[in-house]
Amino acid sequence: MLHAFASRNRRKFLSENCCGIGGLAFASIVQQERLRADSRSTLAPKPPHFPGAAKSVIFLFMAGGPSHIETFDPKPLLNELDGQSRPKEFGDAKYQFVQNDAKLLGSKRRFQRCGKSGIEVSDLFPHVSKVIDEIAVLRSCFGDMVVHSAAQYELLSGRVVPGFPSMGSWTIYGLGSESDSLPAYVVMPDPDGALEAGQPMYGNGFLPAAYQPTVFRAGERPVLNLDLPAGISSHERSKTIELIRQLNEATPAAEDDELAARMRSYGLAFRMQTEAPDVLDLSAETEETLQLYGVGVEPTDDYGRRCLMARRLVEHGVRFTVVVSGGGSGATQWDAHKDIEENHLRMAVQTDKPIAGLIADLKRRGLLDSTLVLWGGEFGRSPEAQAGAGRDHHNLGFSMWMAGGGIQGGRVVGATDAIGLRAIEKPYHFRDIHTTILHQLGLDQDLLTFPHLGRNERLTQIHGKVIREIL
Amino acid sequence: MNAERFAFIRYMFLSTRLSMILAAFMFWADAVHAESPIDREGLAFFEASIRPILVERCYQCHSESSDELKGGLRLDTRSGTRAGGDSGPTVVPGDPTKSLLMAAIRHDGLEMPPDARLAEQDIAHFERWIQMGAPDPRDGPDVVDRPKFDLEKARDFWSFQSIVDPELPKVSDGAWPENAIDYFVLSKLEQAGLRPTHEAERLDLLRRVTYDLLGLPPTLEQIDEFLADRQSDAYERLVDRLLASPQYGERWGQHWLDVVRYAETEGFEYDRTIPGVWRYRDYVIQALNEGLAYDDFLREQIAGDEIDANDPKLMAAASFHRLGTVRRNAGNQEVAGSRNEVLTERTDIIGSAVLGMTIGCARCHDHKFDPLSQRDYYSLQAYFAATHEHELALVDKVVYEDWKQNTLKIQKQIDQLSKRLSAQSGEEEKATIAKIRGLESELPAPIPLISSIRNDFENLTPIHVLKRGDFSLPGDRVRPNPPTLLQASLSNHSSADDYNPRTALADWLVDNRNPLTPRVIVNRIWHYHFGQGIVKSPNDFGKNGQTPSHPELLDYLAMRLIESRWELKPLHRLILLSGTYRQASDSADERVAKELDPENQLLWRFNKRRLSAEEIRDSMLAVSGELNFAKGGPSILLPVDEQLKKQLYNPSQWKETVERSEQVRRSIYLIAKRNLRLPFMEVFDQPTLQVSCANREESTHAPQALELLNGSISNELAEKFAARLKREVSGDLDRYIEVAYRLSTGRPPNRDERRLATMFLNQGDEREFALAMFNLNAFLYLR
Repeated sequence: MLHAFASRNRRKFLSENCCGIGGLAFASIVQQERLRADSRSTLAPKPPHFPGAAKSVIFLFMAGGPSHIETFDPKPLLNELDGQSRPKEFGDAKYQFVQNDAKLLGSKRRFQRCGKSGIEVSDLFPHVSKVIDEIAVLRSCFGDMVVHSAAQYELLSGRVVPGFPSMGSWTIYGLGSESDSLPAYVVMPDPDGALEAGQPMYGNGFLPAAYQPTVFRAGERPVLNLDLPAGISSHERSKTIELIRQLNEATPAAEDDELAARMRSYGLAFRMQTEAPDVLDLSAETEETLQLYGVGVEPTDDYGRRCLMARRLVEHGVRFTVVVSGGGSGATQWDAHKDIEENHLRMAVQTDKPIAGLIADLKRRGLLDSTLVLWGGEFGRSPEAQAGAGRDHHNLGFSMWMAGGGIQGGRVVGATDAIGLRAIEKPYHFRDIHTTILHQLGLDQDLLTFPHLGRNERLTQIHGKVIREIL
Repeated sequence: MNAERFAFIRYMFLSTRLSMILAAFMFWADAVHAESPIDREGLAFFEASIRPILVERCYQCHSESSDELKGGLRLDTRSGTRAGGDSGPTVVPGDPTKSLLMAAIRHDGLEMPPDARLAEQDIAHFERWIQMGAPDPRDGPDVVDRPKFDLEKARDFWSFQSIVDPELPKVSDGAWPENAIDYFVLSKLEQAGLRPTHEAERLDLLRRVTYDLLGLPPTLEQIDEFLADRQSDAYERLVDRLLASPQYGERWGQHWLDVVRYAETEGFEYDRTIPGVWRYRDYVIQALNEGLAYDDFLREQIAGDEIDANDPKLMAAASFHRLGTVRRNAGNQEVAGSRNEVLTERTDIIGSAVLGMTIGCARCHDHKFDPLSQRDYYSLQAYFAATHEHELALVDKVVYEDWKQNTLKIQKQIDQLSKRLSAQSGEEEKATIAKIRGLESELPAPIPLISSIRNDFENLTPIHVLKRGDFSLPGDRVRPNPPTLLQASLSNHSSADDYNPRTALADWLVDNRNPLTPRVIVNRIWHYHFGQGIVKSPNDFGKNGQTPSHPELLDYLAMRLIESRWELKPLHRLILLSGTYRQASDSADERVAKELDPENQLLWRFNKRRLSAEEIRDSMLAVSGELNFAKGGPSILLPVDEQLKKQLYNPSQWKETVERSEQVRRSIYLIAKRNLRLPFMEVFDQPTLQVSCANREESTHAPQALELLNGSISNELAEKFAARLKREVSGDLDRYIEVAYRLSTGRPPNRDERRLATMFLNQGDEREFALAMFNLNAFLYLR
């Protein structure tokens, strides 16, 4: 299926590439399309290992670690034990800040059974609760690290250290790009600032630079180097590119495959330059759609714009998009050390409507079936209080959710214990999330490998499981 | 000498035999105390329903008798069954849901046994057995304490064999070889029915060898000089001139920095600058330029502090041990865990960089491919047991103490305030942050110092074999020792009284009888000259790596290295003067040769290559006449896009270098910051700076074109290049084009190129022409 889609897009590319500015100049480049030889270092579309339901992934990254207890995993017992020490039978936990003598903290959130499925969602998410039947909630996620940077590396790249390729890079290494005018893997950070793990968490690690992410900048011109330098017109520049092509062809050994690939990359660059700005321009969207995402209204405008952009990218064949909520200091992330109420109310209201809008919009456009949406952070939050009303980091059991891309919505998988300390039923590690994403894309974790320092490395360090309960 | 140190030394000299006896005793003791008696019913159930299934369906891969113990899991002892293998505890008595065994036999994630699922009844028996508390009478250790490999057999593997000086092979075409290297290459080609291609054009060769040794294009003067030199040894003298150039160290230093994953910040959340670590970069450049022998080069890096802890040069060399990523975090400290991470970094890099062994694979379990046990791994780590961070101040002692006191005093106040932050909010929080910022500005300016290491025997970390690499699961304590397999080449350790662990390690690494160290470095050098090694996996000479295309040649070169007392420049010279190196990158036999040897393993021609990220920027600087050749010193931070800076968790870490003259220095002097790499470098395959890189990828993709066409670096320098041409060549368009071509491609333009350029310049912009030159294949590729 996916392969068929790829060839359709290829043909589309071949037929459309011969017009417009520079079209003639690149006619020969188009003819050389078939020469895409070395698939190891190019973004040519590649067939999956087996037919997969999803073609694209959107990761709604709730950075800093949203509390499972306040979102998708109600814990009535915790309210009863508020202010007490953790009963011994729940076992130990190591936290970054609070000590073992910390007292449990009840939740002020109210939960309601929503949709046909009756999944319990907290009142932080009045909009998401309306699309809950599209969503499969994983209540038993866990990771290995309790500090941001290492946990973010593990969430994004399956390793607790930097230097390994992110799931986005692995995805485009596995499947190539569907788009000839947009980057295949896009990260949209929160304009409030960076995250602890920094740029390396999104990176291509030891994979060739063709698989690096394109990090969108805030504002009108998100892609670096897409704009011509000041004072140069598009007409002028197309003449320069034409000169480069002619001079290259006038040089002996111009028929070489690699050099031909290089010339093609100039064709693609030119296409990106001329076509990407249209895709990135939200002004073509209807008022109704803008409202659906909460664009133009605070506090949803920013995240709404980025979610809407994600949909436009998916429509144009972008494989992997990360839309980050949270950045800068802990207070402007989901990192609610001091006051879980204040923090989560603020963060949730920024994202709830945009996320629900995204799911609904993908659905009505027929894109949800082929777009896997993942929601979650690098960990959850402690059942114990920090600084009175906050919660510390917590990696032993927390919630994430998936929707679309062949995922069966309206399901809840796994459970934490009665105070939300530990995943006790069907615990799923980040590696299982990764394996499931790859699986939905038609990729096998054992076949998607790259030789590095004597090992055929893969996204999962230890073999992951496919979360069958939600397929 | 203090007691701990004495104990450590005695410990290290315990004989292997004694420690084995001790280990056996401990296992025995363990078995005696391990378990309360099993009730009769449980035992009967185990024998009737569990043991037969285990024996029949599991032991083949998970017992002492397995050829290869799969997943590090042994199911033929009680302790092995419970402790589990690489994936974690297999059986948790009383709790089937937590027992990985149940998930595996139910094919829930893991699928065991892999051939066919157990019968439902058997699965039910296992569940019941675990619920009963998993009664199990089988004593014995949880690991298979024998090497999975036969050491004698393992020594037969090519890379572990002693280096032998090979005889020159016979060749038919006796006229072709220029030196000994060519006999090895030609003989293989002839055996395959191939022949070497013609010699490269003189100008191609000049450009190739100049980039190869200096990472820069030949200047107009160098081109003229070489063309004018018609003597038969002109090329030889060119090579000697280039090897003597100070830019040689700046080019080859970068190769070494890639291998040792050099960066100036620690990575992770804080990405703290390692003060003064740029001195290590300068040390490497200087050592290469001065022709420091490779064995001393390694000795100084591995044990510089043990040689002389007050020598700034040696302490800068020993900064080698500070180059790994370091995770620091606020709040509760995992002291043992963090120490373990640091020791892991320090150990693994010795394997990748020096030995070409992926020893890191043996951290959690015996190596899957190579004859390295977990015990070998931790024995190597034990050399670093006493290694701790140490800063050598480069100022007067009194000044230093004074600075330190002042710094500590203010830092303490900052730390106290920071601690309070987590309980504050609103105005109170803002006030505290303001106070902290104020105090930070009062901190005394940094003083010149070297971030290095020293031995601190009082804080020695006992090194144990760690189950699954987990620091909370220590097994036997081990003493420093080279891997068993390679002990044949073990040097005598120094006497016990002045034991210097890393000196002993370095002595062993560079011992002439160690077959790996010399093979690995000559292969690296070959790799950088030809774009591919004799062994295509320069960091892995193990079973999973590639076998050498020319094993005798590799040994021949290794012998010459040892013979010339580990000096690298004679080795370069030998390679560069060979006919093999001087071949053209095209061949009349291309069609046939590509069929027989598509990857050019046998070297029937030279490999074209794209310039590296650093070479592209340095060349644009050189060609535009902007390059500042100044050497050494603190690193440069180029101005970057504001949005990019925002992607740093602490954007104020990026303090741009203001002086324009500093901004145009060679790329090796740009800061290597782990959490912010320049987009220009990133897009042209600069390594991540996080892990060792033996082989840069060479990818081709649209963002490279966008960077060179629209990026600020190329556009600014195109303007300078145009200005230079205007300044130096006026009036004559023909000469203008000629100079532009010679500067950027090392050769004059051909007729077509001249015509096209003339047409463009007659109507177009000179700046756009200059930019086009930076985008030409003839500029970006070497033939």
